[in-house]
Amino acid sequence: MTDERDPKVSQRYRDLPGEEPSRALDQTILAAAHRSVDKPHAPLVVPAGRHRWYFSLGAAAILVLAVAVTLQLERQQPDAELTVPPPPAPAPAPQPQKVQPAPQAAPAAKAEPQLQRSPTFAPNPGARQPAAPAPAPMTDAVAPRADEESAARRNEEARLAAEKARVQAEASPSELRKERAAGDVAASRAAPSPRASNSAVTAQYAAPTPERELERIAELRQQGRDEEADKALAEFRKRYPDYRIAEVMRQKVERKPAAAR
Amino acid sequence: MAEAPDEALMAAYRGGDAGAFDTLYARHRTRLFRFVLRSIKARAVAEELYQEIWMRVIEARTTWTPKARFTTWLYTIAHNHLVDHWRKRGLTLVALEGDELPSASPDPADHAQARESLARFAAALEALPALQREAFLLYEEGGLSVAEIGAATGSNAETAKSRLRYAMAKLKAAVNDD
Repeated sequence: MTDERDPKVSQRYRDLPGEEPSRALDQTILAAAHRSVDKPHAPLVVPAGRHRWYFSLGAAAILVLAVAVTLQLERQQPDAELTVPPPPAPAPAPQPQKVQPAPQAAPAAKAEPQLQRSPTFAPNPGARQPAAPAPAPMTDAVAPRADEESAARRNEEARLAAEKARVQAEASPSELRKERAAGDVAASRAAPSPRASNSAVTAQYAAPTPERELERIAELRQQGRDEEADKALAEFRKRYPDYRIAEVMRQKVERKPAAAR
Repeated sequence: MAEAPDEALMAAYRGGDAGAFDTLYARHRTRLFRFVLRSIKARAVAEELYQEIWMRVIEARTTWTPKARFTTWLYTIAHNHLVDHWRKRGLTLVALEGDELPSASPDPADHAQARESLARFAAALEALPALQREAFLLYEEGGLSVAEIGAATGSNAETAKSRLRYAMAKLKAAVNDD
């Protein structure tokens, strides 16, 4: 830089007339600089003059509203818990079914375990949800009856109990299909007739099967709900006109003479 | 505060001290204005650009960091505004004709000679290519070094040095003609 430095040039340059910005220009720039410092954080809406109190009032209103909403929510929560029906509500549902067969002529000792089983074999899968008590007591309840039944009936009851236990434990449709298949396999073991075996195999692919319909009718008959059983049996014969009902099953599904009952 | 370096003043202004800006402005107002005025022919345009430069400084208050000398930063802003202006209107230089020149000599003959000498110098300055004139003004008015001139004008030190050398040579010739 020393090469470029020339005192004479610099002096001559300094001799040029001095120019300065106007006073008005100075004031404009300095005022802008001071305004910039006065509002370090520019608000979304610039408060002006005596309207500044609006912002304090607005903030207070928002605070009060927030507290009110919070309190309201806290008050509503216990009410919601009270109004929500408690989970045990479905439990008493089977009780009317227990009472229902009481006026019937059938012995109460037989009726009770069968009634507990009835929801399990309802034709509508949704009706299985009001599940009966745990499967273990069911097995115990069925056991005394086995002494009074014939061998075929005992096998049938055991199969029904096992299937009911599986259905109660089911949690998903896929498991339901597995349980049905397992139940049908058990049924084929209990009733080793050729037709029953065939129906057990087909039951793996189609539900409800004629066998299940018959079982449901037998259940109704055992519960003393003869009218419903008759209707169901008539419906069954319409749907399966060529189906030959096994003798053992036929005795269970058809209405017995009054003297026999 | 008055003796504080520019960077300290700008930092104080960034922190909210408006008085620091007042000091900073008073320190640079004349030189920056002359720099702009002698780069632009019309005074009105020069004042407009001068105001825009300072407004840019004010806007950058909160984001300013002392990466370089304040003067370099200030004249970089000025250079950018001048470039924008030149792109729109072409290169011009303020006319010095008619300006009242300071008179150091009571002799009317000396006074006339001084006027002629300054007029020739002003003409030589005006005749400089814009980039050479800018380098000279940054050197004289801004007090920037060659490297700082290069930084302010977006070029390297060698280029700035070359421009300044050419400008000095032409102006020296104008002075030696006296």
